[in-house]
Amino acid sequence: MIEETRTEEKGLPRAKPATDIVETADGFYIYMDIPGVSKESLIIDLNEDEIKVSGRTAYPSPDGEKLIHVEFGNGEYYRGFTLSHIVDKARIKANVKNGVLELHLPKAEKAQPRKIDIQMG
Amino acid sequence: MVIDFSPFFGQQTPLDRIFEAFWSPSMSISQRPYAYPPVNISEDQENITVRCELPGMDISEIDLTLTESSLVVKGERQPAKGKYYRQERPTGAFQRVVNIHSPIDRERVTAKMKDGLLEVVIPKSESSKPKKISIDIA
Repeated sequence: MIEETRTEEKGLPRAKPATDIVETADGFYIYMDIPGVSKESLIIDLNEDEIKVSGRTAYPSPDGEKLIHVEFGNGEYYRGFTLSHIVDKARIKANVKNGVLELHLPKAEKAQPRKIDIQMG
Repeated sequence: MVIDFSPFFGQQTPLDRIFEAFWSPSMSISQRPYAYPPVNISEDQENITVRCELPGMDISEIDLTLTESSLVVKGERQPAKGKYYRQERPTGAFQRVVNIHSPIDRERVTAKMKDGLLEVVIPKSESSKPKKISIDIA
Protein backbone atom coordinates (compact mmCIF):
# COMPACT_ATOMS: atom_id res chain seq x y z
CA MET A 1 0.00 0.00 0.00
CA ILE A 2 2.78 2.38 0.91
CA GLU A 3 4.64 1.57 -2.26
CA GLU A 4 1.59 2.18 -4.37
CA THR A 5 1.12 5.76 -3.23
CA ARG A 6 4.80 6.41 -3.75
CA THR A 7 4.70 5.51 -7.43
CA GLU A 8 1.53 7.44 -8.04
CA GLU A 9 3.32 10.57 -6.97
CA LYS A 10 5.83 9.99 -9.73
CA GLY A 11 2.98 9.88 -12.19
CA LEU A 12 3.55 6.50 -13.79
CA PRO A 13 0.61 4.14 -13.71
CA ARG A 14 1.45 0.83 -12.12
CA ALA A 15 0.19 -2.34 -13.71
CA LYS A 16 0.28 -6.00 -12.89
CA PRO A 17 1.65 -7.78 -15.93
CA ALA A 18 -0.43 -10.62 -17.32
CA THR A 19 1.22 -13.81 -16.12
CA ASP A 20 1.09 -17.49 -16.96
CA ILE A 21 2.38 -20.16 -14.63
CA VAL A 22 3.04 -23.48 -16.30
CA GLU A 23 4.42 -26.71 -14.93
CA THR A 24 6.43 -28.97 -17.19
CA ALA A 25 8.65 -31.98 -16.60
CA ASP A 26 11.72 -29.84 -15.85
CA GLY A 27 10.09 -27.44 -13.44
CA PHE A 28 7.87 -24.40 -13.45
CA TYR A 29 7.81 -21.60 -15.97
CA ILE A 30 6.46 -18.13 -15.29
CA TYR A 31 5.73 -16.07 -18.37
CA MET A 32 5.06 -12.36 -18.01
CA ASP A 33 3.96 -9.91 -20.68
CA ILE A 34 6.08 -6.83 -20.23
CA PRO A 35 6.08 -5.07 -23.59
CA GLY A 36 8.33 -2.02 -23.77
CA VAL A 37 10.59 -3.04 -20.89
CA SER A 38 14.19 -3.50 -21.93
CA LYS A 39 16.51 -6.04 -20.34
CA GLU A 40 18.42 -3.26 -18.58
CA SER A 41 15.45 -1.70 -16.84
CA LEU A 42 14.02 -4.99 -15.55
CA ILE A 43 14.62 -5.80 -11.89
CA ILE A 44 14.10 -9.26 -10.47
CA ASP A 45 14.54 -9.61 -6.72
CA LEU A 46 14.67 -12.91 -4.90
CA ASN A 47 14.32 -12.64 -1.16
CA GLU A 48 13.83 -15.87 0.77
CA ASP A 49 10.65 -17.30 -0.75
CA GLU A 50 9.55 -14.10 -2.41
CA ILE A 51 10.34 -13.22 -6.01
CA LYS A 52 9.55 -9.71 -7.18
CA VAL A 53 9.62 -8.46 -10.73
CA SER A 54 9.48 -4.80 -11.61
CA GLY A 55 10.26 -2.83 -14.70
CA ARG A 56 9.47 0.40 -16.43
CA THR A 57 8.56 0.85 -20.03
CA ALA A 58 10.74 3.21 -22.00
CA TYR A 59 8.66 4.34 -24.91
CA PRO A 60 10.23 7.41 -26.41
CA SER A 61 8.00 10.44 -26.25
CA PRO A 62 7.15 11.21 -29.85
CA ASP A 63 8.58 14.61 -30.67
CA GLY A 64 6.45 16.73 -32.94
CA GLU A 65 4.00 13.91 -33.47
CA LYS A 66 0.35 14.54 -32.96
CA LEU A 67 -1.32 11.71 -31.06
CA ILE A 68 -4.51 10.66 -32.76
CA HIS A 69 -5.49 7.55 -30.86
CA VAL A 70 -3.93 6.35 -27.63
CA GLU A 71 -4.53 3.04 -25.87
CA PHE A 72 -1.30 2.47 -23.99
CA GLY A 73 1.51 4.50 -22.59
CA ASN A 74 4.44 4.38 -20.28
CA GLY A 75 3.94 2.54 -17.06
CA GLU A 76 5.56 0.48 -14.39
CA TYR A 77 5.07 -3.24 -14.14
CA TYR A 78 5.23 -4.83 -10.75
CA ARG A 79 4.40 -8.29 -9.52
CA GLY A 80 5.50 -10.56 -6.72
CA PHE A 81 5.20 -14.29 -6.20
CA THR A 82 5.82 -16.64 -3.32
CA LEU A 83 7.88 -19.65 -4.27
CA SER A 84 7.14 -23.16 -3.18
CA HIS A 85 9.74 -25.14 -1.27
CA ILE A 86 10.18 -27.59 -4.11
CA VAL A 87 11.73 -24.87 -6.28
CA ASP A 88 15.52 -24.92 -6.47
CA LYS A 89 16.24 -21.24 -5.83
CA ALA A 90 19.89 -21.46 -6.83
CA ARG A 91 19.08 -22.49 -10.39
CA ILE A 92 16.37 -19.97 -11.26
CA LYS A 93 16.90 -18.58 -14.72
CA ALA A 94 15.42 -15.48 -16.32
CA ASN A 95 15.19 -14.70 -19.99
CA VAL A 96 13.60 -11.73 -21.77
CA LYS A 97 12.58 -11.99 -25.38
CA ASN A 98 10.19 -9.89 -27.45
CA GLY A 99 8.70 -8.26 -24.38
CA VAL A 100 8.03 -11.49 -22.50
CA LEU A 101 9.90 -12.45 -19.35
CA GLU A 102 10.41 -16.16 -18.93
CA LEU A 103 11.37 -17.34 -15.47
CA HIS A 104 12.43 -20.94 -15.22
CA LEU A 105 12.07 -22.37 -11.74
CA PRO A 106 13.56 -25.85 -11.68
CA LYS A 107 12.36 -28.31 -9.09
CA ALA A 108 14.81 -29.25 -6.38
CA GLU A 109 16.46 -32.64 -6.73
CA LYS A 110 14.74 -33.99 -3.65
CA ALA A 111 11.36 -33.12 -5.11
CA GLN A 112 11.94 -35.19 -8.23
CA PRO A 113 10.24 -38.54 -8.18
CA ARG A 114 12.77 -41.35 -7.87
CA LYS A 115 12.95 -45.07 -7.49
CA ILE A 116 14.00 -46.46 -4.16
CA ASP A 117 16.49 -49.25 -4.23
CA ILE A 118 15.62 -52.22 -2.14
CA GLN A 119 18.48 -53.75 -0.27
CA MET A 120 18.51 -57.38 0.46
CA GLY A 121 18.75 -58.09 4.16
CA MET B 1 -10.57 -13.93 -31.42
CA VAL B 2 -10.82 -10.19 -31.37
CA ILE B 3 -12.00 -8.22 -34.35
CA ASP B 4 -12.27 -4.50 -34.18
CA PHE B 5 -13.28 -2.97 -37.43
CA SER B 6 -13.12 0.65 -36.53
CA PRO B 7 -10.71 1.70 -33.85
CA PHE B 8 -10.84 5.25 -35.17
CA PHE B 9 -14.53 5.89 -34.76
CA GLY B 10 -15.51 3.37 -32.12
CA GLN B 11 -18.11 4.18 -29.56
CA GLN B 12 -15.50 4.74 -26.92
CA THR B 13 -14.74 8.38 -26.49
CA PRO B 14 -12.03 9.49 -24.07
CA LEU B 15 -14.82 10.55 -21.71
CA ASP B 16 -16.23 7.02 -21.69
CA ARG B 17 -12.85 5.74 -20.71
CA ILE B 18 -12.62 8.10 -17.78
CA PHE B 19 -15.97 6.84 -16.53
CA GLU B 20 -14.89 3.27 -17.00
CA ALA B 21 -11.70 3.92 -15.10
CA PHE B 22 -13.83 5.04 -12.17
CA TRP B 23 -15.78 1.83 -12.11
CA SER B 24 -12.81 -0.47 -12.43
CA PRO B 25 -11.25 -1.64 -9.15
CA SER B 26 -8.07 0.32 -9.66
CA MET B 27 -6.83 2.90 -12.12
CA SER B 28 -4.12 0.65 -13.49
CA ILE B 29 -3.81 0.24 -17.24
CA SER B 30 -3.99 -3.54 -17.14
CA GLN B 31 -7.77 -3.50 -16.83
CA ARG B 32 -8.29 -1.81 -20.15
CA PRO B 33 -11.38 -3.09 -21.86
CA TYR B 34 -10.10 -2.25 -25.31
CA ALA B 35 -9.67 -4.46 -28.30
CA TYR B 36 -6.55 -6.54 -28.65
CA PRO B 37 -3.82 -5.59 -29.39
CA PRO B 38 -3.69 -2.05 -28.01
CA VAL B 39 -2.78 0.49 -30.68
CA ASN B 40 -1.37 4.00 -30.57
CA ILE B 41 -1.65 6.13 -33.66
CA SER B 42 0.21 9.36 -34.19
CA GLU B 43 1.12 11.54 -37.12
CA ASP B 44 3.52 14.27 -38.05
CA GLN B 45 4.24 16.18 -41.23
CA GLU B 46 5.84 13.23 -42.97
CA ASN B 47 4.45 10.01 -41.53
CA ILE B 48 1.62 8.25 -39.83
CA THR B 49 3.00 6.00 -37.08
CA VAL B 50 1.09 3.04 -35.73
CA ARG B 51 2.47 1.47 -32.56
CA CYS B 52 1.19 -1.78 -31.20
CA GLU B 53 1.94 -3.75 -28.03
CA LEU B 54 2.51 -7.36 -29.07
CA PRO B 55 4.59 -9.16 -26.45
CA GLY B 56 5.87 -12.61 -27.24
CA MET B 57 5.54 -12.27 -30.99
CA ASP B 58 8.35 -12.26 -33.48
CA ILE B 59 8.05 -9.85 -36.39
CA SER B 60 8.02 -12.83 -38.75
CA GLU B 61 4.88 -14.19 -37.05
CA ILE B 62 2.93 -10.99 -37.53
CA ASP B 63 0.92 -10.61 -40.68
CA LEU B 64 0.78 -6.97 -41.77
CA THR B 65 -1.51 -6.15 -44.67
CA LEU B 66 -1.88 -2.75 -46.22
CA THR B 67 -5.11 -2.43 -48.13
CA GLU B 68 -6.51 0.55 -49.99
CA SER B 69 -7.45 2.49 -46.87
CA SER B 70 -6.44 0.41 -43.90
CA LEU B 71 -3.63 -1.40 -42.14
CA VAL B 72 -4.43 -4.86 -40.82
CA VAL B 73 -2.37 -6.41 -38.03
CA LYS B 74 -2.98 -10.14 -37.77
CA GLY B 75 -1.39 -13.00 -35.93
CA GLU B 76 -1.79 -15.78 -33.47
CA ARG B 77 -0.35 -16.11 -30.00
CA GLN B 78 0.63 -19.65 -29.13
CA PRO B 79 0.12 -20.99 -25.63
CA ALA B 80 2.98 -22.66 -23.80
CA LYS B 81 2.99 -26.43 -23.40
CA GLY B 82 2.52 -27.87 -19.97
CA LYS B 83 0.11 -27.85 -17.08
CA TYR B 84 -1.31 -24.39 -16.51
CA TYR B 85 -1.70 -23.14 -12.96
CA ARG B 86 -2.59 -19.64 -13.97
CA GLN B 87 -3.33 -18.14 -17.34
CA GLU B 88 -3.75 -14.43 -17.81
CA ARG B 89 -1.95 -13.83 -21.06
CA PRO B 90 -4.24 -13.93 -24.06
CA THR B 91 -3.72 -16.65 -26.63
CA GLY B 92 -5.24 -17.33 -29.99
CA ALA B 93 -5.77 -15.43 -33.19
CA PHE B 94 -6.15 -11.68 -33.21
CA GLN B 95 -6.77 -9.06 -35.81
CA ARG B 96 -6.92 -5.32 -35.67
CA VAL B 97 -7.77 -2.94 -38.46
CA VAL B 98 -6.55 0.64 -38.51
CA ASN B 99 -8.33 2.87 -40.99
CA ILE B 100 -6.22 5.41 -42.81
CA HIS B 101 -7.99 8.31 -44.38
CA SER B 102 -5.18 10.01 -46.20
CA PRO B 103 -3.15 9.21 -49.28
CA ILE B 104 -0.06 7.22 -48.36
CA ASP B 105 3.15 6.17 -50.02
CA ARG B 106 2.64 2.42 -50.05
CA GLU B 107 6.11 1.58 -51.30
CA ARG B 108 7.97 3.12 -48.37
CA VAL B 109 6.07 1.61 -45.43
CA THR B 110 8.43 0.20 -42.81
CA ALA B 111 7.83 -1.96 -39.75
CA LYS B 112 10.11 -2.81 -36.89
CA MET B 113 9.77 -4.53 -33.57
CA LYS B 114 11.56 -4.05 -30.26
CA ASP B 115 10.73 -5.44 -26.80
CA GLY B 116 7.26 -6.44 -27.92
CA LEU B 117 6.42 -3.08 -29.45
CA LEU B 118 5.56 -3.08 -33.12
CA GLU B 119 6.09 0.19 -34.93
CA VAL B 120 4.75 0.71 -38.43
CA VAL B 121 5.74 3.93 -40.15
CA ILE B 122 3.52 4.88 -43.07
CA PRO B 123 4.84 7.81 -45.07
CA LYS B 124 2.27 10.19 -46.42
CA SER B 125 2.26 10.67 -50.15
CA GLU B 126 3.69 13.84 -51.61
CA SER B 127 0.30 15.05 -52.74
CA SER B 128 -1.15 15.07 -49.22
CA LYS B 129 1.60 17.19 -47.69
CA PRO B 130 0.82 20.83 -47.13
CA LYS B 131 2.42 23.04 -49.74
CA LYS B 132 3.30 26.67 -49.70
CA ILE B 133 2.10 28.59 -52.68
CA SER B 134 3.65 31.93 -53.25
CA ILE B 135 1.40 34.54 -54.71
CA ASP B 136 2.95 37.26 -56.73
CA ILE B 137 1.32 40.58 -56.30
CA ALA B 138 0.96 42.22 -59.61
